[in-house]
Amino acid sequence: MSFFSAPANRKSVERLRQLDAFRELTFNEALEVEELLHERVYEKNEIIFEEGDLGHGIFIVVSGKVRADPSHELLKMAVLEFGPGEMLGELSLFEEAPRIATVVAVERTVMVALFRAEFFSLLTRNTKIGVKVLVKLSSTMSRRTRHLLLHEHHLPSL
Amino acid sequence: MLLSIFTTCLALFLFQRIIWLVVPGLLALMIYYCLRPLAEYLVLRGLRHETAVAAIVGVLLLITVGIVFMAGPLLLARAAHSQGAFEHYLAGGENLLRKTIQSLEEVAPVLQRAGLSRQVDLQIEQFTDQFAEKHLGTITFGLLKWLPSLFLVPYLTYFLLKDSTRLKRFLIRSIPNAFFEKSLLLFARFDESLRSFFQGLLVLTFLDTLCLATGLFALGVSPALLLGLTAAVLAWIPYLGSIVGCIVVVLVAATDFPDHPSIAYSCLALFLCVRLLDDFVFLPLTIGRKLHIHPLLSVLMFFLGATVAGGTGLVLALPVLGVVTVVGETAAQVVMDRRLRARYRAARALATAWDTSGHSEPRPPAPNLPP
Repeated sequence: MSFFSAPANRKSVERLRQLDAFRELTFNEALEVEELLHERVYEKNEIIFEEGDLGHGIFIVVSGKVRADPSHELLKMAVLEFGPGEMLGELSLFEEAPRIATVVAVERTVMVALFRAEFFSLLTRNTKIGVKVLVKLSSTMSRRTRHLLLHEHHLPSL
Repeated sequence: MLLSIFTTCLALFLFQRIIWLVVPGLLALMIYYCLRPLAEYLVLRGLRHETAVAAIVGVLLLITVGIVFMAGPLLLARAAHSQGAFEHYLAGGENLLRKTIQSLEEVAPVLQRAGLSRQVDLQIEQFTDQFAEKHLGTITFGLLKWLPSLFLVPYLTYFLLKDSTRLKRFLIRSIPNAFFEKSLLLFARFDESLRSFFQGLLVLTFLDTLCLATGLFALGVSPALLLGLTAAVLAWIPYLGSIVGCIVVVLVAATDFPDHPSIAYSCLALFLCVRLLDDFVFLPLTIGRKLHIHPLLSVLMFFLGATVAGGTGLVLALPVLGVVTVVGETAAQVVMDRRLRARYRAARALATAWDTSGHSEPRPPAPNLPP
């Protein structure tokens, strides 16, 4: 029983730091974030979330591949596949908005989910980590919005 | 509701076997929710989470040990005379009851003609005749049997504070993917409800203690603070606790002022006023939404609880029913969602299809999964 340091799963923390959203975090910071993430494994063709579901957080692909099937005309043009390191559903991190597409696993996929309430508690408890993650999320959202506005083939925020 | 009642009775039946774990568990949960803001504050100030938790629980333990060492010898000395003290206060209560009956007979002579005081004297005699010798030992032994389990409280509190996030993740991991997101949301709401309930309960206890102690001090009943605190803590048990607390205070007042029954009546009035303050002012401000259990259902649960689990059931019936109702409503929102159930069935079918598809190689593991 350790009083002054948490038991570290070095492998999973290092894997987390390889994801784009958490690349700027130090080991200890990633350790704190890792405790808030929920890892899920989806089989091929399993639905991760459906269009219209109320979203409560983001998903980040750790391994495997997922495909988005939107019904919105604007989004149908894009080829919407996400691989390791990419995130989905970041809009739901800030408000309880309905998902704008159905996302299905193309192959057996491991994802991590960051829940809104836990993200906000991270912002409160450790502003430094929260800001780093927030900056990364914002840059991803900004890039995708710009691509959409410029009619490039990339999915905007889900 | 029927399912809630049945589940409550089943839980009470199981709890009476493990009462030594249930009571410390509930206390630890309450202390956890009350100390969690302090732990979060220390983390904000720069301490690591584990260090903050160890510091808080350490200080709590020191305070507890200090109180035990200071109050222990005094309590042990008084315990030796507990039977005598119990009979002394019981006699005070009898005296008050007799005086009250006499006053009523003076006001309404029809009661005197009906022999009310004779009937009451007979009932009192039957009740108190060797009551202490027959039952006090059993009650005391029953309490002392599980009292040592209270030493589990700081232990459970420490691990709840330290590992609650990990425990939540462990529980969430067992939920199927289809129900995952909604469960996470409802879990967070349930956690928030428990937090506001326990923190509100602590504030309510403080307010009740303040009001009762002030009133008892003004009436000249002592020890006012101890009696106020005891009654406020007993009020945690719905309905029954308030009544027991009131009886305790009235007995003390009746014994300390045998020639002035008005003091005891004033204590009763004080309790009624504090009860009204609780219902209309304090409860809405602190705990907020109550569970809205129908009074008839409350009485039914008392009887059912007592039948299923004796004294334990009587005390825990309503709290357990409240928890079971909230958990049941929360779980129903997830499980009864048809779209999520359909998604779950589809996922099961996919997993089964993989298992029965005759793949020569084993299912590829997800890379780098944590142990």
